Amino acid sequence: MTNNGMPQDLPIPARSLKSTNAHSRRRLRAEKCFRALGVSAMVTALLFLLLLVMSIVSNGLPAFKRTIMSVDFVLSQEQFEEAEAALLKTGVYSDFFTQSLVETIQALDIPIEVDQGTINRLLGKVGSILREHYRSNTDQLGQAVTFEIPMASRVDRYYKGTLSREGISSNNRFIRASDLDLADTLREAGLIRQTFNWQFLTGVDSSVDNPGGAGIGASVLGSFFMMLVVLVLSLPIGVAASIYLEEFAAKNWLTDFIEVNISNLAAVPSIVFGILGLAVFIQFMHLPQSAPLVGGLVLTLMTLPTIIISTRASLKAVPPSIRDAALAVGASKMQAVFHHVLPLAMPGILTGTIIGLAQALGETAPLLLIGMVGFVARYPDTILAGFEGPNSAIPAQIFNWASRSDAIFAEKAWGGIIILLLFLMSMNIVAVLLRRRFERRW
Amino acid sequence: MYDASHSDSDVVSREYKISARGVDVFYGDNHAIKEVTADFDDKTVTAFIGPSGCGKSTFLRCINRMNDTIASARVMGEILVDGEDIYDPQVDPVQLRARVGMVFQKPNPFPKSIFDNVAYGPKIHGMARGKAELQDVVESALRRGAIWDEVKDRLDEPGTGLSGGQQQRLCIARAVATEPEILLMDEPCSALDPIATAQIEELIDELRQNYSVVIVTHSMQQAARVSQKTAFFHLGNLVEYDDTGQIFTNPKDPRTESYITGRIG
Repeated sequence: MTNNGMPQDLPIPARSLKSTNAHSRRRLRAEKCFRALGVSAMVTALLFLLLLVMSIVSNGLPAFKRTIMSVDFVLSQEQFEEAEAALLKTGVYSDFFTQSLVETIQALDIPIEVDQGTINRLLGKVGSILREHYRSNTDQLGQAVTFEIPMASRVDRYYKGTLSREGISSNNRFIRASDLDLADTLREAGLIRQTFNWQFLTGVDSSVDNPGGAGIGASVLGSFFMMLVVLVLSLPIGVAASIYLEEFAAKNWLTDFIEVNISNLAAVPSIVFGILGLAVFIQFMHLPQSAPLVGGLVLTLMTLPTIIISTRASLKAVPPSIRDAALAVGASKMQAVFHHVLPLAMPGILTGTIIGLAQALGETAPLLLIGMVGFVARYPDTILAGFEGPNSAIPAQIFNWASRSDAIFAEKAWGGIIILLLFLMSMNIVAVLLRRRFERRW
Repeated sequence: MYDASHSDSDVVSREYKISARGVDVFYGDNHAIKEVTADFDDKTVTAFIGPSGCGKSTFLRCINRMNDTIASARVMGEILVDGEDIYDPQVDPVQLRARVGMVFQKPNPFPKSIFDNVAYGPKIHGMARGKAELQDVVESALRRGAIWDEVKDRLDEPGTGLSGGQQQRLCIARAVATEPEILLMDEPCSALDPIATAQIEELIDELRQNYSVVIVTHSMQQAARVSQKTAFFHLGNLVEYDDTGQIFTNPKDPRTESYITGRIG
């Protein structure tokens, strides 16, 4: 450092390395300020992340629990035949069960007046569960069978703490405050308890008559078929396009133009792809509406730019000396690319693909436009139906639940978010692992 | 220098391995090689010397058409290998490069095992039938690359794990594995220490028995040590091309003299 250009009135010892002058003090101060800013930005970001995770977990975890009544029940052969002969079959089953339950409760010496109406309000859909069970297990007729009957969604919410007695108005036709006395007593007697809600993972969507039974299973399957389409189409097309553009195409204005446009496509809002899919795939090509196939095609369009950009970047990162080495021993251009360049670019390509897929998995807007947001109450029957039958997807299902009026769907939506995040996290972990594995080889 | 003395006597009747006829190379508008005409002998080491950017590497890369990979490069004139113009449209550069091997400035083994590095060329040219034959080809190439004894017990290990000098000899073994007739070396020792350099130079001298070797070097001592013929390039021109002894002791052109005495370059 020289003193040239410094103000003359500075003290002479400025030459010592230990003393600081105004200039270097200013520089140090600027650096300190910047560091402090960086740290505060990190802290803010972490706080927000913590807040997000905490709210998701606290709101979403209840969806994975449900309240059930575990009770023994005997159905005789005659009762079975009577019920099957009736017009409203499940109603008859339900009545038999209620009668039996009333007797069970009275046998427990519980000093509470029990009537059928109370039990009907407390329990979910009993009749269909019983009928389904006995129709496929006729040999169990006449024997005692332990059933785990899900409680009505309001009772469920009461035990999860999102519904209070005070919140129940006297003219509520679904539940009365007095019903909960019976529920509390039965809970103390061990008949009612909370278990893990497998129904949420494996079930399908349901409407207001059985809100507690709604599950995300069918939408997970819809997302799965959609991702399959995206993977099968976007990986080969994207990688082939990038290899061609990067390694074979002449560098001229046309390829420059294409490159700029691919970069621009990556920034196009996804709803634009949605309306494009609606116009091209459904209205013009007459593919089925609401189908994971169409959803997959639309998301492929959306994912391609991501894959192409990351693949080109990782192809560019392969040192040219490797290409020269291959060409110099007499490999053709294609051999050089496929034998040497592509394997080295693989970790980057895979990471880009998985990140692209993860993005597509969480995409909702285009699905709204192609109708993948409907009410899906059953699983597809065949694999083909999985692709072309109407279905939903995880984010669309979450959107759907979030807009329903019954409060139990709110917790379902949060639970769906947890499922979605678990999928995204595991995809990202796979991306990291693949990258590590391929990079560590040499 | 035996070769140097006998080369004068039969210039006319000789069949040259490589002949350049009025070669011009352009990188876009940049005229990198200007009207180079020269003939190169078989089983001889020819050194290209000259200051940086004089075009010696460019000219070397013309001989196996590696310049084809540079989009802006244009090559005009003729280069004959065994009397055939390698820039003829019917010539497949891939075939050519199997006959004209190349070793680069920085050792560039493939990130594969030592065995696969050497076996790659023979494999893609279908030079070995079966695994045993391939092993023989690899062993003989590694022996010719003077590295067999050092790596014979660890052929499965990555080639990139070797030391710089070993990597370069591995690259030479890889280049000779396809049985080329000409070996081009682009400053093969510039990234190596003196001991590794000495090993490579010794190897080059052995390779001369079977191949026509063309080596680009920045070190005039190296050119004097390994080559029988030396070509001096300056600003894209082939200034002087003669027996190595002649160039270093009695250069005809004043530019050559200035360069070898250290006044330009």
